[in-house]
Amino acid sequence: MRVYLASVATDGKANSHALARPPVTFSFVQPTSVEAALRAVGTPGSVAIAGGTDLLLDFDNQRIAADRVVSLNGLPWKHLTRAGGRLVVGSTLPLRRIELDPRVAVDLPGLYQSVHAVGGVPLRHRATMGGNLVRASPASDLLPVLLALEATVHIVGAYGSRASSLDDFLRGSRSVDLAPGELIESVSVPYPAPSAYVWQRVRPAKDISQVGVAVARVPGAGHWNVALGGVVPRPIRSPSAERHLTRLRPKAEEITRAAEAASEGVAFATDRRASEAYRHLLVSVLVRRALDKAIPPEAPS
Amino acid sequence: MSQPIRLTVNGTDLERSDLDDAERLLDTLRWRLGLKGTKEGCRTGDCGACTVLVDGESTLSCLTLTREVEGTRITTIEGVRGEPAGPNVLTAFGAEPALQCGYCTPGFVMALTGLLQEEGSTHRTSNLVDELEGNLCRCTGYRSIIRAIGALGDELR
Repeated sequence: MRVYLASVATDGKANSHALARPPVTFSFVQPTSVEAALRAVGTPGSVAIAGGTDLLLDFDNQRIAADRVVSLNGLPWKHLTRAGGRLVVGSTLPLRRIELDPRVAVDLPGLYQSVHAVGGVPLRHRATMGGNLVRASPASDLLPVLLALEATVHIVGAYGSRASSLDDFLRGSRSVDLAPGELIESVSVPYPAPSAYVWQRVRPAKDISQVGVAVARVPGAGHWNVALGGVVPRPIRSPSAERHLTRLRPKAEEITRAAEAASEGVAFATDRRASEAYRHLLVSVLVRRALDKAIPPEAPS
Repeated sequence: MSQPIRLTVNGTDLERSDLDDAERLLDTLRWRLGLKGTKEGCRTGDCGACTVLVDGESTLSCLTLTREVEGTRITTIEGVRGEPAGPNVLTAFGAEPALQCGYCTPGFVMALTGLLQEEGSTHRTSNLVDELEGNLCRCTGYRSIIRAIGALGDELR
């Protein structure tokens, strides 16, 4: 094999391009035990990193600064396991691994579709579910599905571990119920669950979603769950749509009523990606599309 | 400034002690190692021009700390011939040729090589095109790129 490794002098001129940006500096540690990781992130001036695909941009944009970055990639949190009717996703598992699991697309189609909606493959080889949860972006493609699936967030801290419903965990953009020094170990969802995730973007491959809608029928539920993303600072459930969707296979008029009612009583955001009025329109269209995609076909008689 | 770091780049084992802890893999490759084939496009993870393989998986080097890939096997466009799918991808891109200005080409080649080597992913042409949505060609020269991908899809084998 031919190997090219040019030995170019790294003089000041060559480096000036990279250094023209505001210099980002921090020290880096990668603990290999949960105890050591908790100690490290509990130290003032430290910030945890998993995939880094959002966090490093925050450093570049001077949105955050830290003396020390604590990598969670040395921890045994890259698992994808099934136990007691739940799929457990380790917080630092790259999203691509969820997508490539042959059973996720079958048991949790909405989860598969939402993971697929995040960035491109090279990004998904690093981006993680834990990072997506902590960033809590209003436009997150994962959060509406996880909310519709009634996900549980499993958290560890110096005192021990706790579990929180995703609904309680989410507060707003970049705001979650995670105390300093706490870390997300995993996220779990019940399965199998007929589900779907659909989104609308200005430019499909190159932008984040204006609105994302997830629907899911979790085992034992009395109705379809409907979750809306990109409309207010955190994804929300839509009880006004859900009350029309008690049947596993709702009638056409029930789907229409649910689509019309989905954004009832909620004031949506207007921003550079969409006006409030357009978001209302998108929600009604996407609720219908998501249900059409998720509702299982009649079993052949 | 910090502890020495070990990397294997295009088959060569390296140990460097001049890297910053906050340094991105993109900058290490281009400015420390002189491997200018890996391009900086947006530096925000949107364009895919900086894509390299880390242990065979396509990765955005602009959003990856070099420290995070310590001990891994890194392949850049300069070493892609050594990857199992690399020669076929280069041949397909060269036959078209699937490029205009060429700036996005290393990223496309690396992302496509990674996809073709990935277990569990399907390699139908339509899937491959879909899975390359993270790579952007500012010349909008996609037709020749898609034709090159067509020569690599499973349908033709």
